[in-house]
Amino acid sequence: MPGMNSGLNDSNPTLVAAFKAALLHQGLIAVVILAALALTWVSVREWRRSGRSAAGSRLTDDTKAEAPEPAARRLLRIGFGVIWIFDGLLQAQPAMAAGTPSQVIEPTAASSPLWVQHLVNWAATTWSYHPIQASASIVWIQVGIGAWLIAAASGRPSRLAGLVSAGWGLTVWVFGESFGGIFAPGLTVLFGAPGAVVMYVVAGIAVALPRRRWETAQSGRRILDGTGLFFVGMAILQAWPGRGFWQGTLHGKPGTLASMIRSMSATPQPRFLAGWVRGFGSLVTAHGFAVNLVAVTALAAIGAGLLSRQPRLTRFTLILMVAACLADWVLMEDLGFLGGLGTDPNSMIPLALVAIGGYLALTRPPAAEPGPAAELAGRDRRLPARLARAVATARIRTIVVAWAAAVVVVGAVPLALAQANPHADPIIAQAIAGSYAQLDVAAPAFRLTDQNGAQVSLASLRGKVVLLTFLDPVCTSDCPLIAQEFREADQILGRRSRDVELVAIVANPIYRDRRYTQAFDRQEDLSGLPNWLYLTGSLAQLRKSWRAYSIGAEIVPAGGMVAHTDVAYVIDARGHTRTELDFDPGPGTASSVSSFAVELTDAARLVMRSS
Amino acid sequence: MRTRWGLAAGGVTAAIGILTGGCGGPPAAGGHGAARSAAALPLATSLVDTGGTSWAVAQLGGSSAQEDNFWQIFVRPAGAARWRLATPGGVADNGGLVVASTGARSLITGFRPSQDLTFSPLAATSDRGIRWSQSALVSPGLSDVPGALAAGPRDRLIALTDRGGVELGTRLGAAWTSLSSEASLARTVAARNCGLTSITAAAFTVSGTPLLAGACGKPGTAGIFARHGNAWRPAGPVLPAALSGRDIQVLRLGSAKGVITALLAFGHGARAGVIAAWSDDSGDRWTLSPALRTGALRMRSASLWTGGSAGLVLSGNRGETIAGPAAAWRALPPLPAGTATLAKGPAGHVDALVVARGSMADWSLGGGPAGWSQRQVIGVPIPYGSSS
Repeated sequence: MPGMNSGLNDSNPTLVAAFKAALLHQGLIAVVILAALALTWVSVREWRRSGRSAAGSRLTDDTKAEAPEPAARRLLRIGFGVIWIFDGLLQAQPAMAAGTPSQVIEPTAASSPLWVQHLVNWAATTWSYHPIQASASIVWIQVGIGAWLIAAASGRPSRLAGLVSAGWGLTVWVFGESFGGIFAPGLTVLFGAPGAVVMYVVAGIAVALPRRRWETAQSGRRILDGTGLFFVGMAILQAWPGRGFWQGTLHGKPGTLASMIRSMSATPQPRFLAGWVRGFGSLVTAHGFAVNLVAVTALAAIGAGLLSRQPRLTRFTLILMVAACLADWVLMEDLGFLGGLGTDPNSMIPLALVAIGGYLALTRPPAAEPGPAAELAGRDRRLPARLARAVATARIRTIVVAWAAAVVVVGAVPLALAQANPHADPIIAQAIAGSYAQLDVAAPAFRLTDQNGAQVSLASLRGKVVLLTFLDPVCTSDCPLIAQEFREADQILGRRSRDVELVAIVANPIYRDRRYTQAFDRQEDLSGLPNWLYLTGSLAQLRKSWRAYSIGAEIVPAGGMVAHTDVAYVIDARGHTRTELDFDPGPGTASSVSSFAVELTDAARLVMRSS
Repeated sequence: MRTRWGLAAGGVTAAIGILTGGCGGPPAAGGHGAARSAAALPLATSLVDTGGTSWAVAQLGGSSAQEDNFWQIFVRPAGAARWRLATPGGVADNGGLVVASTGARSLITGFRPSQDLTFSPLAATSDRGIRWSQSALVSPGLSDVPGALAAGPRDRLIALTDRGGVELGTRLGAAWTSLSSEASLARTVAARNCGLTSITAAAFTVSGTPLLAGACGKPGTAGIFARHGNAWRPAGPVLPAALSGRDIQVLRLGSAKGVITALLAFGHGARAGVIAAWSDDSGDRWTLSPALRTGALRMRSASLWTGGSAGLVLSGNRGETIAGPAAAWRALPPLPAGTATLAKGPAGHVDALVVARGSMADWSLGGGPAGWSQRQVIGVPIPYGSSS
């Protein structure tokens, strides 16, 4: 999965600082939007009030008389609204920017089939290329959806909130959870299969249903039937032989269930909780068969009870299910959100919420909606006047709904822009190698031989911006990466690359023959690049240029690669060094290569603009 | 009612889908094709040049990170008792080293590709590894077999590349032309008779005729081919009827002082073994050694020395040598643990070169009853982390 991993440490201080700054920036935008909406609301309301007062009439709400919201819908709407906000806050954890692709998305995708990996990789690449935009966007999208769900109690905005919640949930389920891992081995409901977000999708769809669907017990029956079938299916899966769930130990090692619990207990968490989870893990290791028998029996019983259609049995089953979910949530899912990279409270709470919602819909269907209220007299026909009236008569709740929808957009727009940009952000390069230095000193002269045998001096390149680096032609790691970064920088520059020369000087005191520079060019697909020069010369000539540009190039004994400085210079058209970039390419992932290329391009453009 | 059944059907379908998804596993590996592929032979080896200098190649480092294990060349000048480190510098050799003797006190080595390096730089010495010269390379990189590089008269070379090419080099690799490839050789009449599946070794006869050898898909046939004019002709030995049902692969091929030597692996698993074969320079008549049963033991190293002698290191600390044509395999006392390769030591004794992280120890097998005795330890400053 080449695109998924930026290769950076989760706690990289540069990325964490940039992430916090982005959150603050977008948070300020959200506050400004809220303030603008409130100001508009108050102003229009006051303006219309004064107008009405002058005309001797009273300002009244122009809304229909609302029927009370069905209890089931309210539970799902507010419950999942709170969970979305909680998830959004979890996404604001410092490690999320760098850690999500490698620690959250990749592990699930890695055990899934190849087609799932390709699909997930396609989207996850966006995150590793644009870690700050992606991580900050997710925060605001999820907080916005949550606030929207909570604030919008009825009407189209409320149903739309349900749809947005379901749509985003589906996106997270596919790209963030690799379909909840349903195509990966070891699937078990006890650890969150088929993905917590599936419940978000179910709840979102339920909230999006028209009111008439809630007025009968049918919706509740369907939810309980679906949940019952799900539990029966999960019981079969849990009981399926050969999947390792029946054994506490396998070949002297913890069995499937025990090893899953053990890995959960290794997550950073309060000591008492880790103790509980470890204790339960020991129980599973010692009595694997019995524990799985209890689990299978409980799953099957819950499934059968929910499908029974007997009110008392259904209620009893629901209580049993909630208790089982809570026990599983604590002892096996380990609350799900701890450790600095938890993205949600896992599946048990959402699953219980959905089932309770179904039960409420079944047992407490609301009264039929009352007819529309009498039309108030004096409705304006002109659009601006209608709009002003709508704003003036809106409730605070409506303002909050509008704000929440705007917050979703505040998150979604940068994410869409990031997805459209195929080049990584320079922040990754800066996180690896630090920010670059601005200079304005005469660049040291050199006169060397290019890969075709022609003499090239720095003076002969006057009039062009020179991107200069030092590469070992037989290097096995860094130099090929730097060459790829230069090549990508040339592509990003596009037509402006005519004004730029990409120049490398050999940084190997032994392998400096032109055959090696030519072989390196072929290896890195640089031979066809008209503005690429790979220069070499006698050892004395090379040493002179290394000294002038402060390059160390030392032979490492016992089969080591030549150790040399990874640096790039941007030399302007007058022959002055304007920028010095630490160019150690770091992990050499696709995103870091692209990021260094963008950083180099930005530095070159800056020099071109100021020349 | 219809709705309920629809829901039930959907649920069952989902459960089946989840079950099949959850229970699915990767297809079983292996198969007939896999069984036919060439057995992997590590690059650790040794040789003796025409001047009597012993050279050995072994991997040191002991790291679980492959890029932190580096290959080393050791040399023991003719008549000297001690080995010394002679690894050429300037290139990371964590991909492996392939060596060929180019004359007395002379060696050429190719660096196998590793990490992002895709071609093989070459380094040559004519003073027992004190100074190395670098001006040639093989592109694409050398194949992952110890016989991927062969040197012949007039500084000619044969290189087997990791893309199945066979390149003929002049002036120690200063210029290369294509000599053949696995695909084109397999299409020749000579190779079709053996069902050639891969090329595993190259050599020159003393008179300079290029030889290629490989693994045959047709049981009981040995795949050694000689270049005559523009055609390849079979030059391999006719094997005894006892091997008629066995897959044959040439492990090593070399020639020195008018003798072509080949080590051939036969069979699989418990019925596996090795035979040595010798021919005069024409390759017309071959002498075969008795079969050496190796069973399920893995081959750690196979070395060809002068006069048709050879040494094998097998798993389980087992070592075998053979003195040359008409000789029989001689089982050595259990090898010291960690033996990377056997080499020719002073006074014709056999040395076991033992590697452990950053050191190489020379254990010698004297003529007496004492068995192996440690004579020397060389510390090697492994550049851990230098290629990551």
